[in-house]
Amino acid sequence: MPDISILTTITPNHYLVLSACLFMIGVAGVLLRRNLIVLFMSIELMLNAVNLSFVTFSHSFGKVDGQVMVFFVMTIAAAEAAVGLALAVSIFKRFKEVNIRFFEHLKG
Amino acid sequence: MTADAFLFWFLAALTIVSALSVVLMTNPIYSALSLAMTMVSVAAIFVTLQAYFLAGVQIIVYAGAVMVLFVMVLMLFDLKHELQAFTRGRFSGAFKIASIGSLAGLLVGAMYTANVLTVPEAASVANTTPKGAITPLAEELFLRNVFGFEALGVLLLVIAVGTVALSRSKGGTHARH
Repeated sequence: MPDISILTTITPNHYLVLSACLFMIGVAGVLLRRNLIVLFMSIELMLNAVNLSFVTFSHSFGKVDGQVMVFFVMTIAAAEAAVGLALAVSIFKRFKEVNIRFFEHLKG
Repeated sequence: MTADAFLFWFLAALTIVSALSVVLMTNPIYSALSLAMTMVSVAAIFVTLQAYFLAGVQIIVYAGAVMVLFVMVLMLFDLKHELQAFTRGRFSGAFKIASIGSLAGLLVGAMYTANVLTVPEAASVANTTPKGAITPLAEELFLRNVFGFEALGVLLLVIAVGTVALSRSKGGTHARH
């Protein structure tokens, strides 16, 4: 009979592996998609994965430093989404499309 | 199987499936809804890790504010279909997927060989303050990290002004000639 304790006993390693999977899905989205909005969503996925590992370490070490860092990451994420979407709006006003191939035409 | 193990596997499956559908859906509005689902399930995972306040903040900030921003911009654009959702090139696509897979294998392998997480359970048991209490979090945030907190406030103000200026600008990078 195979050992099933990896299924029945949840260690912090499980949470970290879940966080790594979530981060990799975000990386895949950034590399593979061409829509700017979906790119931002993938970046949010990666930030969520990092938050998850911060909370896991905070739980397993019994300290709240990691949770404070999660607050900071959430603030940065909201600011990044606001600026990115404003840039997307200004791209859309010019090209009527948010595909990232139009970013080749950026000029000062 | 105990209840918390079942809960973890259920939430992990929900998170992975909804995160995959963010990347794989070709209609961006479905991607946005899947992202909201991912945020909610990550908040539930925070509850299982006894970070109750963070779970609430996650739902309010991410599943509330950020998702409203995304969905509003999507409706402003009125993107019905996407002609080219994924990157071109069969070879470069295979190369990207292979690099993602090798990076994932590297991370997971590093976690299992390091095995950092079996040791500090005793330390967390020895902690006298109750888990999930809000007082230690507030003390950490407002006493020891108050400079970072204020700096983030200034950053948010700058971002708000910059966003309004950026969206109101007639000229700039993409002025019509």
